[in-house]
Amino acid sequence: MIALTANQLAVPYLIAGVLFIMSLSGLSTQETARRGNVFGIIGMAIAMGATFLASGLEINALLMGAVVLGGAVGAALAARVVMTGMPQLVAILHSFVGLAAVLVGISTYMSHPDSGAVHAIEVWLGVAIGAITFTGSVVAWAKLRGSLSGTPLLLPGRHLLNLVMLVATVGLLVPFLDASLSEGLTLLYIMTAITCVMGIHLVLAIGGADMPVVVSLLNSYSGWAAAASGFMLNNNALIITGALVGSSGAILSFIMCKAMNRSIWNVVFGGFGTDSGGASAPAAAGDQGEVTEIDSDSCAEELLAAKRVIIVPGYGMAVARAQHMVNDLTRILRDRGVEVRYAIHPVAGRLPGHMNVLLAEAGVPYDVVLEMDEINDDFPKTDVVLVIGANDIVNPGAQTDTSSPIYGMPVLEAWKSSMVVIFKRGMGAGYAGVANPLFFHDNSRMLFGNAGDTVAQLVSNLRER
Amino acid sequence: MVKTALEAVMRVGIPTEVHPGERRVAATPDTVGKLIKLGFEVSIQSGAGEGAKLADAAYAEAGAEVVQDVNALWAESDIIIKVRSPETDPADGTDECERLREGGWLISMIQPATNGPLVERLAARKSTVIALDQIPRISRAQKMDVLSSMANIAGYRAIIEAANHFGSFFAGQITAAGRTRPAQVMVIGAGVAGLAAIAAARGLGAEVSAFDVRLAAKEQVESLGARFLELEFPADEGGETSGGYAKIMSKEFIDAEMALFAEQARKVDIIVTTALIPGRKAPLLITKEMVDSMKPGSVVVDLAAEQGGNCGYTECDQAVEAGGVTVIGYTDLTSRLATQSSQLFGTNLVNLLSDMTTDGVCAIDLEDEVVRKSMILRDGEVTWPPAPDPEKAAAPSTAPDAAKPASPAQKPAPVEDSGPSSMPMVLTALVGAAAIYVGLDESMSIFVQQLTVFVLACFVGWQVVWNVTAALHTPLMSVTNAISGIIIVGGMLQAGNPDAGELAQILGAVAILVASINIAGGFLVTQRMLAMFRK
Repeated sequence: MIALTANQLAVPYLIAGVLFIMSLSGLSTQETARRGNVFGIIGMAIAMGATFLASGLEINALLMGAVVLGGAVGAALAARVVMTGMPQLVAILHSFVGLAAVLVGISTYMSHPDSGAVHAIEVWLGVAIGAITFTGSVVAWAKLRGSLSGTPLLLPGRHLLNLVMLVATVGLLVPFLDASLSEGLTLLYIMTAITCVMGIHLVLAIGGADMPVVVSLLNSYSGWAAAASGFMLNNNALIITGALVGSSGAILSFIMCKAMNRSIWNVVFGGFGTDSGGASAPAAAGDQGEVTEIDSDSCAEELLAAKRVIIVPGYGMAVARAQHMVNDLTRILRDRGVEVRYAIHPVAGRLPGHMNVLLAEAGVPYDVVLEMDEINDDFPKTDVVLVIGANDIVNPGAQTDTSSPIYGMPVLEAWKSSMVVIFKRGMGAGYAGVANPLFFHDNSRMLFGNAGDTVAQLVSNLRER
Repeated sequence: MVKTALEAVMRVGIPTEVHPGERRVAATPDTVGKLIKLGFEVSIQSGAGEGAKLADAAYAEAGAEVVQDVNALWAESDIIIKVRSPETDPADGTDECERLREGGWLISMIQPATNGPLVERLAARKSTVIALDQIPRISRAQKMDVLSSMANIAGYRAIIEAANHFGSFFAGQITAAGRTRPAQVMVIGAGVAGLAAIAAARGLGAEVSAFDVRLAAKEQVESLGARFLELEFPADEGGETSGGYAKIMSKEFIDAEMALFAEQARKVDIIVTTALIPGRKAPLLITKEMVDSMKPGSVVVDLAAEQGGNCGYTECDQAVEAGGVTVIGYTDLTSRLATQSSQLFGTNLVNLLSDMTTDGVCAIDLEDEVVRKSMILRDGEVTWPPAPDPEKAAAPSTAPDAAKPASPAQKPAPVEDSGPSSMPMVLTALVGAAAIYVGLDESMSIFVQQLTVFVLACFVGWQVVWNVTAALHTPLMSVTNAISGIIIVGGMLQAGNPDAGELAQILGAVAILVASINIAGGFLVTQRMLAMFRK
C-alpha cells in the first residue's frame, strides 16, 4: 500500500480544491449545475482518499465505522427530506460542520498542546467559530421547524451580554497561550461553553423573516470554521474549501440583506419587527378601508379572461405545500393560452432561492420563474397577479410610507397590475409585522383560506370550465 | 420696391371639388382670411364649402369673392388651389385642365408617377403646377404636408368606422351586468395614419398592437401605449426608404410577416391596415383565409383600398361582409370628416403659399427645396422628377412628438450602493495580508503560506459565487455545506493518529461521523434538487 508524505498529499488536496471551485462555478446556470455537484463529489472523494493514504495514519475500526455510519445517516436524511423542509436540513447540516470543527480543534489541542502561540490562536479561533456555528444552527433549525417560536427573543441588555461574552472569549485567550495541557483544556472548555451560549443567544434574537440571512450567515461561519481548522492542522484542502464556503455564505448574506434594504448589523443585532414594527403595525390595519373578497369561482373567471398572469409565491405557499397545486394551475392556464409567469422576491421563503426549489420540485419550468428585477417592470402590463402566501414582499408601503419599518426594501410592484388576488389565511400581518395597504387597494381581492385548499379549489373550478 | 399690379395682387381661386363623394374644400373661411392677410385676393366658387358645412356667406365675410360661374372662377384666378387632381367634371363633361387659364398656376394633389396623361394635359396649358403629394418629408415642410394631415384624419376615422360596425365596447368594463373585455385592435403600418388609429383606439379603451416593417416605428408605437409586434427575423432589413416610407421587403420577411398576421387575425377583433408603398399597388397583407379565421363581428378597415387594398375582401368604397366580418374599404374617410379635413388642408396650403411669398410677392424659388421637389411643371415644362439630392435628406420625423412616458416614481434610496464592488475588498485583503507578512518573522513562513492560500481562495470564492444565479441559491448552500464537510479530513488525521491519545482519537472519530453526515447529506440533497430543475 502506498503512503503519501505530506508533500505528496498536497497534490490531491490541490486537485480537490480546484474541483470545489469548478463545482461552485458550475452552479452559475441550471444547465451546468448538476455537473458542478459531480465535481464537488469527486473533489471530496479525492480529498478523503488521499487522507486515507496519508503516511502514519492508522486506519482503525473507529475511523471506518464513523465514516460509514455518518454517510448512511446523511444519505437517509437527504433521501427523506421534503422540499419544504429544506431550510431545516440546511441549518442542521451547518451545525454538524460547526460541531466537527469544535471536536477537531479540541482533539488537536490534546495531541499538540504546545506548538506555539500561532497554533494556539488558531485552535482558539477554530473552536470559537465552530461553537457559534454549532449552537446557532441548532437554534435556527429549531426555529425553522417550528419547535421554537419564530418571534425574536430579546433579553434586556442583550447587546451588553453579547459584548461581555465576546470580551470573555478574547480575554481567556491570554492565559490559554501559556497554559499547561490540563489548564489549557479547562480554559478551552469554558470558552466553548461561552461561545455555545453566544450562538444560541444571537440566533434566538433574530426573527423568522430574517432566517434566509441567518442561514446564509451560518453557512459562511461553517466555512470560516473549516478554514480555521485548516490553519490549525496546516492543511491546505481545509483552508481553500473553508475560504470558498465562507465567501459564498458571505455573498449570499449580502444579497439577502440588500434585498431587504438592511445592513447585516441591522439583521443580526436589530431585533427587527419588534421595537419599531410591532407597535404601529397590526393596529394600523383597521383604519385603512375595507378589503374586497373574491370567491374561487370568480377568480377562475378572471384568470381565464386574463392574458398575462403573474404568480407571486411566498412562505405561505411553502407552509401549505401548495406548490404542486400551483403548478397544476399554471398548466391549465397555459393550456388555455394564458401567459403565466412567476415573480420571485430574493427573500421569499426561509432560505435563499427557497421558492425556486419548491417550484422546481413541482415541475414548473425554470424559464418562467423570474427574479424581481427581471419582472418588476411587467406588472403594469399584467391582467391578474396571484399573491400566494406572500405579504411583505408585495407591500407598496415599502416605497411610499417612510414610517414603515420596511421602507426602502425593494418589493414586487404587484399593485400596478389590473387586478391582484391575494391568497391569505386571515388578515394577520406578515413576518415583519407590518400592515399591508395592498389589501385595501381597489384592484385587490382577497381569497381567504389555507393556500393549499384555496388553490386546489381554484384548480377544480378551472377544470370544470 | 415698386410692385406691378400682377405681381402685387395674385388671385387665388378655389373651385368646388368635382369628384363624386368628395366633400372637402381647399380653403375654409379661416384660411381664406389668412390668404388675404398674405396679400392674395381670393375667389371661391359658390357652394364649394357645402360638403364641409361651410357656407358661402362665411367665405364672403372672410373677404372672398363668391363666384357663381365655375369657368369664370378658373379663368380669373392666377393660382387655383384644390384638393383632388383635375378630372372630368361629371356635371358638364369638361376636363378641369381645360378650365385652367393658360400659364396659370395649379396647386393640388397630382400623383405624377401614375398620372402621366394628366401632366401632359396640364403641360399643354403652359401651366405651373405644384403637386402637394410631392412635398418632401423634411422637418421644415411638415406644416405643408397634406399627406400627413389627411392620414392623421383617415387613421382616426378608420377607428370610428370600425367602432360603428363593431358590436361591442372598445373599453373593458366591469358593470353590474357583467364584465366586458376590451376590444383587441391590430394596426398594420405605423405611419401617420397607423399612429392616429392607435391613438384613437387607445383613447376608446381598446388594447392595441401594431406592426411595421420599420423597426424605428417601435418607439412611436410604444409611446402611444400600444404593443409593437416583432418578427422573429434577422433584422438586417431596415424597411425604410430615404423618404421615410416603407419599401418592398424580401420574400422571407414577407412570409414571416404573413405568419404573424395569420396568428393575430384569430385573436383580434379589429384590424386596421395602412400599408402603402408609394407608386405601387398596395401589398396584400390580410388574405381571405385570415379574414375567415376572424371572430364573427370583427371588423377590418383597409386604408389602402384606393390602391388595391391590403385585404383580400376589400372592395373600393364599400363595406362588405364576409362570414360575419365587416371589411371596410372606404376611400373617402377624410371626406367623412370634411370640416376638419378642409381646415387642415387649407392651413397646409396657407403655409405653403406663405413660404413662397417674400415681401408680398409670390414666386417660384428653385432654391427652395420644397418648391423644387414638388413642382411638376413650370410654364408647361415638365420639371418632375427633380434632380436627386447629392446627400440623403436628414431622417424625417414623421411621427407626432408623443410625450415620453413619465419617468417612474422615484424609488426610496437603498441603504447600500447597488452592485457588488469587490475592488475595495480585494485591496483591503491585499493590504491586510501584506501588513501581516511584514510584521511576522521568518519562523512563521508556514503561516504566511497558509494565509496566502486562504486569501486567494477567498478571492476565488468571491469571484465564482457572484455568478451563481439566484434560482440556485439553495443548491449553492447545500453544496457548500457538503464541501465544508471537508473538515472530515481534520477528523481523520486526528482519529488515525496513534500518537494523539485515546480521547483525542475518539473526538476525531465523532468529528468524522458528523462531517460524513454532512458530506453525504449535502451532496445527495443537492443532486435531488438539481434534478428537479428543468426547462
